[in-house]
Amino acid sequence: MSDSLREILDIGVFWEFRNILLRGLLVNFLVFFGAAAVALGVGLGAALLRVSRFRVLRAVGTVHVEIFRNAPDYVMIVWVHFVLPLLIGTLLHTRFELNPFASGVLALGLVYSGYFAETFRTGIEAVPSGHLEAGRSLGMGETLLMWRIVLPQVVRRMLPESINIFISLFKATTIVSLIAVPDLMYNVSMITQQEMRPLPLYTGAALVYFAIVLVAGSALRAVAERWRAKIT
Amino acid sequence: MIRVVDVHKRFGTLDVLKGVSFDVHRGNVLSMIGASGSGKSTLLRCINYLETPTSGDIFIDGESIGYRGDGSRPRRPRPLAEINRIRRDLGIVFQQFNLWPHMTVLGNVVEAPIRVRGMSRKEAEAIAEACLRRVRLLEKAHEYPARLSGGQQQRVAIARALAMQPKVMLFDEATSSLDPELTDEVLAVMRDLANDGTTMIVVTHEMAFARDVSDRVMFLHNGLVEEDGPAAQIFGAPKSERLRQFISKHVHA
Repeated sequence: MSDSLREILDIGVFWEFRNILLRGLLVNFLVFFGAAAVALGVGLGAALLRVSRFRVLRAVGTVHVEIFRNAPDYVMIVWVHFVLPLLIGTLLHTRFELNPFASGVLALGLVYSGYFAETFRTGIEAVPSGHLEAGRSLGMGETLLMWRIVLPQVVRRMLPESINIFISLFKATTIVSLIAVPDLMYNVSMITQQEMRPLPLYTGAALVYFAIVLVAGSALRAVAERWRAKIT
Repeated sequence: MIRVVDVHKRFGTLDVLKGVSFDVHRGNVLSMIGASGSGKSTLLRCINYLETPTSGDIFIDGESIGYRGDGSRPRRPRPLAEINRIRRDLGIVFQQFNLWPHMTVLGNVVEAPIRVRGMSRKEAEAIAEACLRRVRLLEKAHEYPARLSGGQQQRVAIARALAMQPKVMLFDEATSSLDPELTDEVLAVMRDLANDGTTMIVVTHEMAFARDVSDRVMFLHNGLVEEDGPAAQIFGAPKSERLRQFISKHVHA
């Protein structure tokens, strides 16, 4: 192997910059957990709208789901970061800005809330009506039924699909680098420009993401399976 | 203590109940029999307002379930929260058990006493254990419903209803979805309850149970009470031709 080829392939450069790369990875996780929280909260809200007794609320829920589920992640990030502040600023007659991190969390959270809303909704509708009747006949109100009888079953039922959505979301966190959120991918690009060694750096990044998704995904699936086994 | 007054129920254009009235006194067991489609399950579900009667009224100890106010002023329908409050006093056991699969047996039984009656966990568990002992399933308290047989699940469902200390127990074909060898254990529990003086309204296809345990039997046909009387009379000396046919078809000597 020629020296030049060896230099190109040398993964050591990835190790050399481990501190800044790790800090980038931490940002990925922060974006992930922030967006996941937004997605779960807003998604649950939208799902509750979609199963509401009132037609208007159901329609609002449907519009939400269709808008966000059908928006490309990148378009949504750009829109939230550059367009939304302009709109808000104009409406409030002030200057308004979102920092890139907040934009990334909000945009990804909204997109994935669309997916979670549908997962929550199918889960809610899958709970047998007899379970609700049993609760009503014991004097439980609708809110109590939702929190004690419906949602705990929904969470268990939607776990496998949720894990897939979480994995997609984690992978999507890398595109926040495009609005200069200093995540792993962003830092890799910066170092690449400086070192001119794209192969080890980008390959290293790919391997890191791959390893995380593989390990976390399998672990979550195993835990989810054991948890569900108890009740079915 | 329970008074059903001229209850009608219509689903779309289908008249399921065409004006049914009766009383059940404290400690009595009333069985409702009749062919499927006769309206007996709908009637039972109307009694605790899982189905809202199209017209008519139901009183428990003189209090209307569906309406506010006394006879002097125009009555208004009760809001759901109030119906829920009155409904606690009516335990119901369903054909499909309807246990909550994510809670243990004990969790199922203590849920409503804690969340609805506002009992402490300790207090609720003491009551739950007494109820589980009555259905002879105390040793299964920490199992999940999926691990139990159908008959055991139904006995837990009975314990769950009992834990609210209802004034009346309603049974909606409680053994109809069980294998024959599992019905006996559920019927045995129901017999015990009846012998202990529980007020019960039972919709059933188990003619032996209706004959031996009930104080009164009501035969429904096409949304009306066709015949009504003491068990001995209904089974021993049926008056209407329909009841005679029904009995000869369902009672195997």
